[in-house]
Amino acid sequence: MRKCLLITAALLASLPAGGAAAAWQPNRPIEFVVTSAPGGGTDNFARVVQAIITKYKMVEQPIVVVNKGGGSGAEGFVYTKTQAKDPYKLTFGTNNAYLLPYVAKLGYKPAELTPVATLAVDEFLVWVNGASPYKDVKSYIEAVKAKPGVFKASGSQSKDTDHILTSMIEDATGTKFIYVPFQGGNATAVQLAGGHVDSNVNNPNENVGHWKAGTVRPLCVFSPTRLPGTAKVADDKAWSDIPTCREAGIPIDQFQMPRTVWLPPGVPADAVTFYADILEKVTKTPEWKEWTERNLQTPRFLAGKAFTDFIAEDDAKNRKVLEAQGWMVK
Amino acid sequence: MASRFQAELATALGTAAFGAVVVAGAIEYGIGWDSAGPEPGAFPFYVGILIIVASLANGVQALAQHRALAAAGFLDGPHARRVLIFMALSVAFVILASLLGLYVAAVLYVAAAAWWQGGYRPWVGAACGIATALFFYVVLEKAFQVPLLKGPLEAALGIH
Amino acid sequence: MDNIASLFYGFGVALSAYHIGLMIVGVLLGILVGVLPGLGAPNGVSLLLPLTFAMDPVAAIILLTSIYWGALFGGSTTSILFNIPGEPSSVATTFDGYPLAHKGEPTRALSFAFLSAGFGALVGVIVITLLSSAVARFALKFSSPEFFAVYLLAFCSFVGLGGASPFKSIVAIGFGFAFGAVGMDSVSGSLRLTYGFDELLAGISFLVAVIGLFGIGELILTVEQGLELAGIRARISPRDVLSAALAMPRYWVALLRSAAVGCWMGITPGGPTAASFMSYGLAKRFSRNRDKFGTGEPEGIISPETADHAAGTSAMLPMIALGVPGSATAAVMMGGLMIWGLNPGPMLFVERPDFVWGLIASMYLGNVVAVILVLATVPLFASILRVPFALIGPVIVVICFVGAYTVGNHTFDLWLALAFGLVGYVFKKLDYPIAPLVLAMVIGDKAEDAFRQSMIMSGGSLSIFWSNGLVATLTCAALVLLFWPLIAAGLRRLPGLLSTGRRTPAA
Repeated sequence: MRKCLLITAALLASLPAGGAAAAWQPNRPIEFVVTSAPGGGTDNFARVVQAIITKYKMVEQPIVVVNKGGGSGAEGFVYTKTQAKDPYKLTFGTNNAYLLPYVAKLGYKPAELTPVATLAVDEFLVWVNGASPYKDVKSYIEAVKAKPGVFKASGSQSKDTDHILTSMIEDATGTKFIYVPFQGGNATAVQLAGGHVDSNVNNPNENVGHWKAGTVRPLCVFSPTRLPGTAKVADDKAWSDIPTCREAGIPIDQFQMPRTVWLPPGVPADAVTFYADILEKVTKTPEWKEWTERNLQTPRFLAGKAFTDFIAEDDAKNRKVLEAQGWMVK
Repeated sequence: MASRFQAELATALGTAAFGAVVVAGAIEYGIGWDSAGPEPGAFPFYVGILIIVASLANGVQALAQHRALAAAGFLDGPHARRVLIFMALSVAFVILASLLGLYVAAVLYVAAAAWWQGGYRPWVGAACGIATALFFYVVLEKAFQVPLLKGPLEAALGIH
Repeated sequence: MDNIASLFYGFGVALSAYHIGLMIVGVLLGILVGVLPGLGAPNGVSLLLPLTFAMDPVAAIILLTSIYWGALFGGSTTSILFNIPGEPSSVATTFDGYPLAHKGEPTRALSFAFLSAGFGALVGVIVITLLSSAVARFALKFSSPEFFAVYLLAFCSFVGLGGASPFKSIVAIGFGFAFGAVGMDSVSGSLRLTYGFDELLAGISFLVAVIGLFGIGELILTVEQGLELAGIRARISPRDVLSAALAMPRYWVALLRSAAVGCWMGITPGGPTAASFMSYGLAKRFSRNRDKFGTGEPEGIISPETADHAAGTSAMLPMIALGVPGSATAAVMMGGLMIWGLNPGPMLFVERPDFVWGLIASMYLGNVVAVILVLATVPLFASILRVPFALIGPVIVVICFVGAYTVGNHTFDLWLALAFGLVGYVFKKLDYPIAPLVLAMVIGDKAEDAFRQSMIMSGGSLSIFWSNGLVATLTCAALVLLFWPLIAAGLRRLPGLLSTGRRTPAA
C-alpha cells in the first residue's frame, strides 16, 4: 500500500515536469498562415516545413496552408492578431512581422504576435552586372562615390529589407544610389542581368541562375563569415570564394533576414513550446538540411528567450535605418 | 417604378461620389510630381478627378435627353419585385454566411430560393441545397484543402 | 537544327506511361479547379507542390503544368455557360461565349473555345521550341519603360471600342484603375485607399470583382427578365463538336493574329489575362464581322481563347530561362523549381536538358491530352444548361459566393462580390461598359508601377519612353492603336480630301 502510494506520488510529482511538452496537443487541423503569395519565399518556407512534418508524422492532425500575402504580408499578421487565443494558426513570415508596422499604418502591433521560432536566415550579397568592369566591391563603391545619384540600385519592394540594406550601404560608405523598387527578387535579378540597373542586394538563390549564365557577378556577402559551399558555381568561383563585405571594404558586419514563425496573441505557453519543439525537430531532418543548402540559406534555429533577444536586436538595428530615412509612419 | 432618366441621374451622382471618395483617399498620400516621378497619391487622384468629371458629363447628358429618357423604363413593378427579392435573399445569404458559416447558409439559401422563387416543393430545394454543400465540402475542404467559413453547427458536429 | 534534336530527346524523356498518367490526373484536376470560380490553377498547383518533393523533377513539373493546362481549359467552361469566369484569363471569353451558349449552342461555343485554345497552346510551344534562346535574350531587353509600353499597347488595343458613350467608358475605366490601386503600393511601400480598413489592405481582388460584375450581375439580369422557369434548350450532339472543328480553318486570320498576340504577351510578360483582352480588342477592331461581336460571334471566342493559351504556354519560357513567372501559377511552379533544387536561368538548358526539354515535350503532349479530355466533358457541362434556372440559379449564386470567399478567405469579400454584382447589373442596364473596367483593374496597377519605376530611373523625364528603338516602337504602336478610329477615318477621307484639294486650291 505504502509502496503504491509512493509510486502514485512520484508519478504525480513527475507529471508537470515530464508532461510539459505533451501538455498541449492539437486535436483538430492546424492552419499555416503564409504571409506571402503562393510561390513567394515565405510560401516555399512554409510548404517545406509542412512537407517535412507530414512526411515524419510529427503531428497527428492534418495541416492546411492558407496564403494571406496582401499588403506585403500585413494581411496575414492582421489575421493572426484577430485569431487571438487560437493555437491552431501558425503564421510564417520574415522580419516583416515586426518591421511592417513601422512603415505602414496597420491593424496590429508586433507585440500582439506570439513569437515561436526562427528556423533559418537568408543571406544578402552585393551583385553587379556581369559585363560591368567591377570585379570587387571596393572599385564599385568608389565608382558610385565619384558620381552620386547616378548608379541605380534595385531591390524588391520599398522600405523593405533590400531598401533598408541599400540605405545602410549608403550610410556606411558615403555613397548615393537611385533605388528602384521592383516586384520581388526574381524581377530584380532579371533587371540586373539585362543591364537596366547597376547593382542589387539579392539573396543567393534569386541570382544564382544568372550568375551561372555570367550575366551577374557577386562582389561580397553581408555575413560575419564567408558562405559555405566550396563547389565551383561560375567564373571558376565557389560561394566560399566570395569575400564578406567587411573584409572587402563595406563596414557592415552582418545583414540577414530571419525566417520566422508566430502564433496569435494569448495562446497557451504549452502550445508555443509544442510548436517550437516540432519546428526544432524539422530543422534536424536531412530534408531541411538539403533544402537550406540548395537555397543557400543559413540554418539557425532560435526559440524562446534566444528568439526574443534576436528580435529585439534585429528590430533595433532596422528601426534605426527606418528612422534615419524618415520612413516611419506617423 | 423607376424611369431610365432617374436611373441615369442617380448612377451619375453615385459614380461622382465614388470619384470624390477616391480623391479624398488619394490626397492623403501626396499628389505631386517630384524628382522620383509621381507621388503615390497622384495616379488615384487624377483617376478620381476623371471619374467626377465624366460622371458630371453623364449627368448633363441625362438632363439634356430628359424627355426621351423619362419615357424609357428602367425597372417596373414585377421586374423590380424579382430583383428586390433576389437582392434580399442574397443579403440574407451573406449575413447568414457570416454568422453560421457558408455551408449552413448555402443549404438554407438554395432551399429557400428554389422554394420561394422557383416554386419547387421544399424538399426538392432542401435536397439540392444539401447536395451543393456536400459537393463543396468534399471538393474544397477534403480534396483541395481550402477551408470554407464555418459556424457554430460545424463546431458542434466536430467538423473543423 | 539543334532544338529539333533536343525536342526529340525531350519526347524520349517525357513519353512514358507514368508521365502520361500524370498528365491525365493533372489535367482532370486542373479542369476541376478551373471550372470552380475562385479556386484556380495556383490552388491546384500549390496543393500538390508538397507531394512533388519526393518526385523526380521531370515528373513533378509534368504533373504541375498539366494542372495548369487543365485549369486554363476549365476556366472557359463557366465563362461560356454561366458568364462566370473560372479563371482571370477567361473573362474575355464571356463576351461572345456566353451569348452563343445562350442562343442554344453551348456545344459549339465550348468546342470553339477548346479547339482554339489548343491551337494557341500549340503555337506557344512551337515558339518555345524553335526560338527559346532568342526569346530569352529578347526578354532580357525589357525593363520598366518597356513594360509600361506593353501595358499601354494592350490597353489601347482594347479601349475606344463599342458604341458606349465615351464618358461612360471613362467612368468605367476610372473605376477599374481606382479598384486596382487599393492596397499596398509597392513603389512607395505605403498603403493607399484603404481608409483605415484592414479588410482593404490586401487590395480588391480582381477575381472577386469579376465574379460579382459578371457572375452575380448576370444572375440579377436573368432574374429580372423572369427566366425563372426556363432551362435553355441546349442542343448537345457530338456532331456539333465536329462541325465546330471543321469551321475552325475559316478563322485562320483570327487564329494566327491571336496566337501572335498571345506569344508576345506571354513572353514580354504581360500575362494571359491582358493577352486575351488585347486579342479580343484587335479582333473587334479589324474583323469583318465586328458588328456581331458581343452577340455570340465565333471569332469573339476564338480570339481571346487562342491568345490566352498561347500566352499561358509561352510564359513558361521566361519562367525557365529567366526566372520571371508570367502568371500567378507560374510563380508557384517556380517555387517548385527552387524546392527541387533547380535554379531557373539560361544555364538550366545546359545543366538539365532532360528537365527543360522533357518539360517542353510534355507541353505538346499535355495539351493534346487536355484538348481530348476537355472535349469529352463538353456534353456533360453543356447539359447543365438544361437544368431549369429556378433550380440551378440558386446553386450558381452559392458557387459565386463560395468562389469569392475562396479567393482570399475573407468574409468581407462576400459583401464585396454582392456590391460588384449590383454595380455590374446597373452598369449593364445603363450601357456602361464593364470590360474596360476589368482590363483597367488587371493592368492599371502594374502599369502604374512600371511608369513610376521608369520615372525613378529617368529622374522624372518622360523621354524615357522614347529612349530606345524597342520602347519607342511600342509606345508609338500603342498611340496609333488608341487613335486608330481617327486615323482610319482620316485614311478613308484622304483620297477624297486630296481630290477636293485639287479642285478648290484656293479654299
